[in-house]
Amino acid sequence: MAAFLSGISIVCFAASYAVALACEASRLVFRSGVRGFVMVGFAAAGLFAHTLFLIWRAVDAGTAPLSSPFDWYLLAAWLLAVGSLYLTVTNPKTPVGLFLLPIVLALVGAATLASREPFLNDSASRFWGRIHGGFHLVWSVSVVLGAIAGLMWLIQAGRLTRKAAPLRGFRMPSLERLAHVTARTPAIAAWAAAAGFVSGIVLNAVNHRRGLIETVPWSDPVVLRMAAVVAWLIIAERIAATVRRRPDGARTTAWLALLSLAALAASIAWGVLGATRHGKPPAAVVLTATVHEAEA
Amino acid sequence: MTLALVGGTHRTVPLALRERLAFTAEQAAEALGRFRDRFPGREGVLLSTCNRVEFYAAGERGAAPPPPDQLVSFLAECRGIDATSLGPLLSREHDEAVARHLFGVAAGLDSMVLGEPQILAQVKQAWAIAQDSHTSGPLTAGMFQAALRAAKRVATETALGRERVSIPSVAVADFARGVFERFEDKRVLLVGAGKMAAETLRYLRDAGAQDVVIVNRTAARARDLAARLDVTPAPFSDLEHQLASADLVVSTTGASDHVVPLELFLRAEDHREGRPLVVLDLAVPRDFDPRIGGRPGVWLYCVDDLAAACAANRRSRQREMPQAVAIIDEETRRFMGDMHHRSTAPVIEQLLAGWSETGDAELDRLYRRLPHLAEADRTEIRQAFERYAAKMLHPPLTSLRNESRSGPPHGLLDALRRLFNLPE
Repeated sequence: MAAFLSGISIVCFAASYAVALACEASRLVFRSGVRGFVMVGFAAAGLFAHTLFLIWRAVDAGTAPLSSPFDWYLLAAWLLAVGSLYLTVTNPKTPVGLFLLPIVLALVGAATLASREPFLNDSASRFWGRIHGGFHLVWSVSVVLGAIAGLMWLIQAGRLTRKAAPLRGFRMPSLERLAHVTARTPAIAAWAAAAGFVSGIVLNAVNHRRGLIETVPWSDPVVLRMAAVVAWLIIAERIAATVRRRPDGARTTAWLALLSLAALAASIAWGVLGATRHGKPPAAVVLTATVHEAEA
Repeated sequence: MTLALVGGTHRTVPLALRERLAFTAEQAAEALGRFRDRFPGREGVLLSTCNRVEFYAAGERGAAPPPPDQLVSFLAECRGIDATSLGPLLSREHDEAVARHLFGVAAGLDSMVLGEPQILAQVKQAWAIAQDSHTSGPLTAGMFQAALRAAKRVATETALGRERVSIPSVAVADFARGVFERFEDKRVLLVGAGKMAAETLRYLRDAGAQDVVIVNRTAARARDLAARLDVTPAPFSDLEHQLASADLVVSTTGASDHVVPLELFLRAEDHREGRPLVVLDLAVPRDFDPRIGGRPGVWLYCVDDLAAACAANRRSRQREMPQAVAIIDEETRRFMGDMHHRSTAPVIEQLLAGWSETGDAELDRLYRRLPHLAEADRTEIRQAFERYAAKMLHPPLTSLRNESRSGPPHGLLDALRRLFNLPE
């Protein structure tokens, strides 16, 4: 069993998601009676492998989800993959996967570039670290879902404005349903991002007070960027609340959701590619571990 | 001839005559009872809809279906119409053409609106009436079952019936449903009550609409219409207020000018709290000022917009025709193959009976010569004989089945009869 689990690689589930995405995209080209089964089959197989991979990470490395940037990205991708599969099964005529699976694949791709080094493993840091990572997960997933709903809203509204019949096999949800999602996600994203930011400050302060070498400098680009993202999400939430009862409120909210996704993408790109101490184990712990290893 | 068809459709029979020729379910049952008495041993199914009246007859082995002229006279007699005026308008088909026609009819390929699904239920009902009237037998049962299978394949393997082609259905399914997820909590406002209002309302009710208000210039007419359509009447002077509270408007007045000018709408818009509004302006000339369609949150569709979508859907259905026809051809070949194979049954039965009789006689002779054989040995020998007979007969029977696929295997049947001296 352990040999089987350890044999599952990122490529296994990424390839399954990619095939499911290709099936979704083929809706635009031709019609098929079996495509739905193939698509759901590959998405389910990918999700199954993805789940086993996360379980194996927890068992083998003794790390729970969110214990490293690598695990964080994979868990975010897993949540979106679950949502994609659920929505595909419950709304077979709606090409949800076409919008969600690219983001799932992007997160899996980001995971391969992210650090696998675990965060601090003592109880206080672990507690605040999980709160910090959990809130980040919530706001990121909310922003992705809101942006996808917003994009679908704009596509559907464009079709209705052009007075064109829906494309065969490519039926979008109603504007009402999409507006319902885009109207709720800004508040969730803003509050979760704010809570994630505050919990990150607490985590950093705890580490600092415990005499460890500084974990993340207060002037670290990630701290400044996250502060900007939180500010943007709060502003976006306020704008969305203000325009909610205006005739063009849904359109404005849809664009705000897309801008929030752009902010999230920039944030992830910066986190993965930029020079930062964020998400890396504190130097003191690394040094201590190295000394222990040398003594052993 | 095993299958026969006499019938007329919207393409061949004028409406006035079609109305006289049409059968209700009770009249159809009565006519089939009369058919059973007059043509004993034959099978018959009567399909009568607003666009077609068709009589399918079948029979075999000395009870062939009645000739087409007799069927025409029979139909004319049932409906009290002069057969000489009806005869030239009805088409006549036999055998494979009958099956092909029925399969096409069941799949909606012969309907006035290509691919419409209601015809399938009507075909099922016609067959059910024939079964109840005891005029459906193995031939018509096989043919109607095959027709239902063909229709199902066309429905699932092509998109022939998927796109809507009537203005009210397109308005509701492709546009109103694109804006609203559900209609149970939406207010529908009918402005005027033209013919399309009632049909659109039917689609909206199917979608869940419950809160429906009607305004009409004449209060008495509004009350009449409200009672007829089971909706709430409101005075025409209340139009602005009703526009403010409506989510979907269906406008079908006969007014010569805009019933809802931009200024009136802007006043109502101030009280709408940003809720989206779908307007189906089905009136000609238009009831809503077209500039209203440019307001944010307003989705305004006039008859031309919807007609264009309908035409696009119709073209889309037409594109599916070759695939649907290919399915009908395939199912027809399959059914006719079964039919032809079925016609070989008497010869096969005779052949098997002959071999069995000869085998039994030889076995009896053998058992008499070898009386010491145990029962188990006798059984073994009998089974060996049977296996031998089955293996010897397998190639000719397979050839018969294969030959049946391309038509009645008269040549092979004749050869078998002559080779094995089988009676005609």
